[in-house]
Amino acid sequence: MSLPLANYDWGLIWDYRSDLLNGLVTALEVAVVALVLSLVFGLLLALMRMRPAPFSWIASIYINVFRGIPALVTVIWVYFGLALVIEVSFSVFQAGVIALTLLYSAFFAEIFRSALEAIPKGQQEAGLAVGMRPIRIFFSITLPQATKIAIPNIGNMFIGMVKDTSVFTVIGLLEVVRVTQNVVATTFQPFVLYSAAAVLYVAVAFAIDFLFRLIEKTLEAPPNGVISRAIRGRRQRRIQALIDAEIASAKA
Amino acid sequence: MTPTAPPNDSPIRTNPTVPHDTNDPLTAPEPTASGHRLGEPIVELRGLRKSFGDLEVLKGIDLTVHRGEHVVLFGPSGSGKSTVLRSINMLEEPTAGSLRFDGVEYGPGLPDEAVVKRGKAIELRRSVGMVFQQFNLFPHLTALENVALPLRSVRGLSRAEAEHRAAETLRSVGMLVRAAHYPRQLSGGQQQRVAIARALALDPKVMLFDEPTSALDPELVGDVLATMRELAESGMTMVIVTHELGFAKEIGHMNVFMEDGQVVETGGAELFSAPTSPRTQKFLSAVL
Repeated sequence: MSLPLANYDWGLIWDYRSDLLNGLVTALEVAVVALVLSLVFGLLLALMRMRPAPFSWIASIYINVFRGIPALVTVIWVYFGLALVIEVSFSVFQAGVIALTLLYSAFFAEIFRSALEAIPKGQQEAGLAVGMRPIRIFFSITLPQATKIAIPNIGNMFIGMVKDTSVFTVIGLLEVVRVTQNVVATTFQPFVLYSAAAVLYVAVAFAIDFLFRLIEKTLEAPPNGVISRAIRGRRQRRIQALIDAEIASAKA
Repeated sequence: MTPTAPPNDSPIRTNPTVPHDTNDPLTAPEPTASGHRLGEPIVELRGLRKSFGDLEVLKGIDLTVHRGEHVVLFGPSGSGKSTVLRSINMLEEPTAGSLRFDGVEYGPGLPDEAVVKRGKAIELRRSVGMVFQQFNLFPHLTALENVALPLRSVRGLSRAEAEHRAAETLRSVGMLVRAAHYPRQLSGGQQQRVAIARALALDPKVMLFDEPTSALDPELVGDVLATMRELAESGMTMVIVTHELGFAKEIGHMNVFMEDGQVVETGGAELFSAPTSPRTQKFLSAVL
């Protein structure tokens, strides 16, 4: 008896490897650019939401609107709708980035808000008490601590962003699913090729998880793990050297 | 004491037979403790009021702190002593009354008095150091960076200058050997000494202590008190909210008993042995 899986032409994956990987690279490019933009906008929205009205209202409305719209609807609306209404036409890449940014900045806003609110009030008071300006307190004290809290959730969202690039197949972005569809159209082997696509997405999810765990450990104080310590090692060695020098100069 | 060694952690801190202040001619048994050779006033609170919504927590506080003076605020929970302290550096904005620091007005002022010179909270805070009950060290920074950060961002020192000054200040509180550690790698007492160094590095004119030993394990209290005692002996102007009345008796030039948002009674060390107000007597008999 032969294994049922052996009836399929798995060699196709190897034959079309460069198309599939190009699709993956496109998907990751869209997701990474959108990640950077939505982190910036998400943080701004979080800060707006924590301000008094009307800023908090505007941010709330934005967040609830874009958390509610599916990615498919958003990208169609950006690519076809905006082109009609304001007569700008975006490339499929741009449309994908804009759609993901609109959607995910709403999620990041909530992630940042909860992370910022988790920082004890005493941290800000300590900054104020030494005479620091609020903007310095934010960037040197609050944000670094909030970022560490937010990192696991940002990683989760980033996995979601990579997966959501698959809906951009409707505007013809040559990402993993679109490439898979094209290859299926010539080879008639959907099971094989969609399995390959699934494996690619899962592999990316593992890689992102690894990367964000590394970032999280690096942001711990003290940094946790071999790689994290190596990344932050120079700073630690500099401080230790300075202290050793101070102790030595006191003895001399 | 050698510069790098941590201060000797003597647990003895409330020995009533220590003749330290009782024989000190400077601590005269006057209610205002004015027998101490005082400098000019540096902090002046007059008719200071503070409300949180409908709740008035300070009901008109009058308090003058002179240069070099050690003022101790004590009293039951909710008496407003921490709020007084937090008003001195405007972490709580007074609702009414005058808060003068070094002759400059920072509060709303008194109704029948023209304000000569008004200052901003941030300028006030740059002259006043504060130590918190919960230490409030920055957990993502090493002890050294905790002290160096305000030097860089407030004083504008370069990193090298700031870290050198931070190291020197940490040495003065016996924490230089731990300067590369992060707060969570330090004991509570060590964290509090780093927090004291963070405030001291900025060369404040007045140091405020908000129950600095209340969050510490009993055996760690001595270290922090030793650091504070040293600071007091160096002539630093200090305002201390504390329940460590033995320590208060030892270093306090003026002790202030507060209750219900008001100053009930003030005095030197004799306030603890011979309080005049029945309310102070009752409080002291309950805690001493």
